[in-house]
Amino acid sequence: MKFNGKDITELLALNRRNFITLIVGGAVGIGLSPLPWKMADDSAIWTQNWPWVPVPPVGEFLHEKTVCTLCPGGCGIEVRKVDDRAVKIEGRTDYPVNPGGICPLGMGGLQLLYNEQIRFTGPVKRVGPRGSGKYVNIGWDEALSMLAGRISGLRKVGKVDSITVIDGNRMRSTMAVMIERLTKAIGSPNYMRIPTSEDTFQTAGMLMQGSDSPMAYDLENSDYILSFGSGLLDGWGAPGRIINAWGQWRKDRLKRATRIIQVESRASNTASKADQWVPARPGTEAALALGIAHVIIKKGLHNTEFVNTSASGFSAFKEMVLDHYSPEKVAEITGTDSNKIISLAEGFAKAKAPVAVCGKGKGALNGSLYESMAILALNALVGNINMPGGVLVHDPLPLDKLADIEPDAIAADGLQRSRLDQAGSAKYPFSRSLFSNFAEAIIKAPKSPVDTLLIFSANPAFTLPDGGEIKRAMEKVPFIVSFSPYHDESAYMADLVLPDHNFLEKTDDIVWPAGLQYPLYGMTRPVVEPLYDTRNSGDVIIQMAKQIGGAVGDAFPWEEYEEVLKQRARGLFDSSAGLTGYDGATPAWKQMKKGNGISPDYDSFDKMWEEIKSGGLWYRPAHTYKNWGSLFKTPSGKFEFLSTKIELAAKEASLEEMGISATGDEAFMPHYEHKGHGKGEGSHSLRMVPYEMINLASGWAPNPPYLKKTLFDHQLLKDESFAEINPETASKLRLKQGDRVVLKSHKGEVKVRINIFEGAMPGYVYLPLGLGHTAYDDFLNGKGVNPNHLVDGGMDPLSGQPVWWDTPVKLIRA
Amino acid sequence: MENQERPSLDSKKGGWISSLIGLILSYYAKLISNPFRSGLVYFGAGLIGALFVGWVLFPFALYSRQHQPLDFSHAIHLDEDIVEIEGDTDLERCQYCHAFRDDGTFAGIPKLETCMECHDDPEMALGETPEEEQFLKDYVADEKEIPWLSYSRQPDCVFFSHIAHVKMGELDCRTCHGDHAKTDKLPVYKKNWITGYSINIWGKNILGIKSNSWDRMKMDDCAECHTEKGREENNACFVCHK
Amino acid sequence: METKQTHGHRYGMVVDLDKCTGCGTCMIACAAENNVTVRADESDKERNITWMQLYKITNGKKFPDTEVSYFPRPCMHCEEDGNGGHNPSCVTVCVATATKVDINSGIVSQIYTRCVGCRYCQAACPYHARYFNWWDGYSLIKPFAKGMERSLSPEVSPRMRGVVEKCTFCHHRLMRAKNQAYADDRREIEEHEYTTACAEACPAQAITFGDLNNPEHQVSKLIKSPYAFRLLERLNTKPKVYYLSSKDWVRKMADNYMPGEFKPISKAVG
Repeated sequence: MKFNGKDITELLALNRRNFITLIVGGAVGIGLSPLPWKMADDSAIWTQNWPWVPVPPVGEFLHEKTVCTLCPGGCGIEVRKVDDRAVKIEGRTDYPVNPGGICPLGMGGLQLLYNEQIRFTGPVKRVGPRGSGKYVNIGWDEALSMLAGRISGLRKVGKVDSITVIDGNRMRSTMAVMIERLTKAIGSPNYMRIPTSEDTFQTAGMLMQGSDSPMAYDLENSDYILSFGSGLLDGWGAPGRIINAWGQWRKDRLKRATRIIQVESRASNTASKADQWVPARPGTEAALALGIAHVIIKKGLHNTEFVNTSASGFSAFKEMVLDHYSPEKVAEITGTDSNKIISLAEGFAKAKAPVAVCGKGKGALNGSLYESMAILALNALVGNINMPGGVLVHDPLPLDKLADIEPDAIAADGLQRSRLDQAGSAKYPFSRSLFSNFAEAIIKAPKSPVDTLLIFSANPAFTLPDGGEIKRAMEKVPFIVSFSPYHDESAYMADLVLPDHNFLEKTDDIVWPAGLQYPLYGMTRPVVEPLYDTRNSGDVIIQMAKQIGGAVGDAFPWEEYEEVLKQRARGLFDSSAGLTGYDGATPAWKQMKKGNGISPDYDSFDKMWEEIKSGGLWYRPAHTYKNWGSLFKTPSGKFEFLSTKIELAAKEASLEEMGISATGDEAFMPHYEHKGHGKGEGSHSLRMVPYEMINLASGWAPNPPYLKKTLFDHQLLKDESFAEINPETASKLRLKQGDRVVLKSHKGEVKVRINIFEGAMPGYVYLPLGLGHTAYDDFLNGKGVNPNHLVDGGMDPLSGQPVWWDTPVKLIRA
Repeated sequence: MENQERPSLDSKKGGWISSLIGLILSYYAKLISNPFRSGLVYFGAGLIGALFVGWVLFPFALYSRQHQPLDFSHAIHLDEDIVEIEGDTDLERCQYCHAFRDDGTFAGIPKLETCMECHDDPEMALGETPEEEQFLKDYVADEKEIPWLSYSRQPDCVFFSHIAHVKMGELDCRTCHGDHAKTDKLPVYKKNWITGYSINIWGKNILGIKSNSWDRMKMDDCAECHTEKGREENNACFVCHK
Repeated sequence: METKQTHGHRYGMVVDLDKCTGCGTCMIACAAENNVTVRADESDKERNITWMQLYKITNGKKFPDTEVSYFPRPCMHCEEDGNGGHNPSCVTVCVATATKVDINSGIVSQIYTRCVGCRYCQAACPYHARYFNWWDGYSLIKPFAKGMERSLSPEVSPRMRGVVEKCTFCHHRLMRAKNQAYADDRREIEEHEYTTACAEACPAQAITFGDLNNPEHQVSKLIKSPYAFRLLERLNTKPKVYYLSSKDWVRKMADNYMPGEFKPISKAVG
């Protein structure tokens, strides 16, 4: 076909020119359509809403009240939820422990719940080599029968004492009762609890007062607080309570009603914020306390009523103190100015309600027994035992005692055998668990005497200040079972993990928040449904016991853990009147001082139980003060400056065997013992002291990622942590800020960087606790070093616990 | 070539403008007379194709089409002869299901719980529609939430307080949501592939032209209303953004 | 916008440094409340995000007279840029109008979807209160911590990579309080109804929050104290965050004083 003389196909050919015309036509057409304008708008919006940026679902706001169990403080918390998602933790104002505030750890608690990388999502068994973190998921049935089978097998061959149970739950809590019961029912004598300063406090109380009263300091009513290294602002006790009190004490800028004196070798937050900082060499606190006692007695400032009518052994104590603890001598030991000691003594004795507080740092690690006794003696001297503003003596919470178990023949035989750690033996009569002995027994033996190790709510491989001994011991143990919800170091070594719920998914109790001055029973309730296939360890114990069967099963007649809690709570109802509600108007410590009796706010047990479950609280803000006549349950019936119990114990074993270097009566009284490592001992001329921070979790609960925001880059920089040293020490060693060094003790070595800090005592090296994880996820693994693995300070006399506050170290430039 | 005469005729009538128009027209006339040589076919094809794409294909392809999991009739539920819903005004009747919570937040699309206030027995239908049967069988029986698709969900950066507008500003639901309450069938949910928003935000009209206040829900629409009502201070960024 | 920013309310904060113990709860509360992201390496202080940041200071004295104290530093919500302009310096320089002073509350707003990420405001802020998102914090494709996005609050939108963010005085809590007030048939909110997450969380009650325009509010009373001061006051940026401290060395740290310029007051008063 032709057109105008040309072939039409030629005319219609898609040549370059026509193609451009087509494009131009298309462009004009598109321009005349809404497409470009709509596209421009939409793509602008698209850039604002990347599909990978999550959009948090909206929903109804709910506020669930419960109690935090991340530390022994037991603060009341309120969890804000959006439908079934927990989005924020806040402090409760209707809970007497903490009026509204909580600590950073509690605040970051949701990251422990939701960070899947640190949690076990169900029971697992190890497949790779130990420590490789290689597991396979198994079902609960398989996990339970594996464990029950192993225990039954050991029972059959009579090797029950090769089972050891490590328990990190708080003393007297229902979980601890259950775990100890299980150990007993199986027939193993080796039930071990992670020691804390509360244990040391209670042992000191047992030796001098004859009762193991829970730690109860009436700080809010005190006007002079002399703290021997207690990190009141660094996580001691219930941080929500203490820091709130601190704020109250600082309300009046010019006229402070309460003075706080901090004895500590390093300018911690507590030391800096205190009214006075008294630096004393680590481990010499007992000498300082006795030096203060010396001045008080010499000047006749002590409470004569108490000393004359309610104390025994005072003359011996007086003689010892006057002979050995003059301010000049104490100044030499502690490095504190002698005039300062005199003024401290005067200030302490002349205050209306002075109180001396013990428990180093957070109080999460053991203390020194003689030191705790010396501090208690100081309180006794001024007659502030069981007085408002002093140290209160209480009976433990009146929880129902569960019926005694009836051990079968195997168990009866096993319970006769001696403990592996020798705790409670003649050499260590006052200790319940001794991890260093335990680890040593395993390490020294050709074949581990422990076959199966069960670990509940604890991470001994990381938290124990033992120079890494327990970790080395655990490597030899053939079979380790962890009940941890988290991928902690100890669970990493386990062969079988039966994960517990996270604290926000769990029902459990809190027996007496650490240091609180009135009895309080708290209850934590699940605020979210369990996210994963985990089980409350309380339930698991019951299920496991039933599977083992026989007398072990009979020892656990309950169907579920909550029944046990309920049964024990009956004791609260039966024994004394308490309250289950708190309106926040009058603080409980104020109500106590009023001295009025209490009429319970419930009329039946069921009512009380329902209230406890919903409010998480039973407490008794009333107290019989003074009562010195019948308070002390010692053999003498009085407060014993010279402890009869130690005297009696010394008849069973020599003082030397008990690790005591003092002789005569001095050994039965609080005294200071100079530990072996002298200054300038060989090449290990520096001393390493671990320190705790409120914003860095160092216990069983891992550090939530948010808390890392609060660390300074002179504490942790990339993967390296810092050792604090004084500028003077630094210049002697020719070290600059940021230098890399190796710290070496006889137990181990770590690589750190140097942070020069004026607040560090010359000659000492300070390392933070809580870093240096080798398990968990990218947030924690490999960040910094763990000073626990360096600790090598010998043994605390009498208690047999490790001295972790004074390790000789060598510093080598890296 | 005859057509060439026309512009000159026109130019006689008008001034220089018409002569210019004439020039252009004559050029096109020439093209038309000689269409294939000029490439107009290609230009036209491109133009028409693009217009088709821009006006028909693009608006169609821009949105996904999803059916609601269940066909809910607002009309039946709000018909006083059929369902007794408490409330004297339309607003109160809307709020019977689309309620404010005690904290002032708006519950939006009701949860199954609200439905089950009346439809509590999966065995006993209240009406006769097959939709209700399906609803009882699939959701009420298992107490499973209905995965409704929300027509008016704003993006995450937007904070919108219903109570500020409905209670304090005394706006009707209709002002923004139109006559949704009178519909017997739920419209197909259309999601913009690019932005992820529902079509109701931009409006059904591809040009974004609105004739009713409820046709669009863009920022400008909020601002326009604020200004109209003398509430300029509410055009501050942080009033509606989070 | 040259209109005076006060439209009734002017929210501000007072931090009592004598009460502050440096525990860091405010930082955590802030991060948890506002969906702030967290990275494996939080020690990179130039790139991590802390709307509320604790600064540690020491008196520089030798052992054993050393003392440590802390400055919690949120966004100061300045009122002027220090050069006579009635907008804070960050607002003045913003090319995208992504940050403005909210005329209803005096709060300096930050709209993430509007921000183009030029970081000019970051450079302009004398308090280092502004942070840039170098990474997608919460990403569904490559999560930094699996499952953690479940704790995100719907009240604050998560930020994407490439935008600047900062403290908003928990503006969403103002909105929450308003919603509650409307539900209770009120237009105005009470003092206790709107407070920031950091102030609420502080276990020592060191942080007080309220309306500086309302003489009845605690903050208005507290800023009259002779111990009250602001950070870098002489820049004239008029921050709405005040501090209280009875310690001269702490107050002296708040600005760059010339020798002899700082006037100690604790002796004069106490």
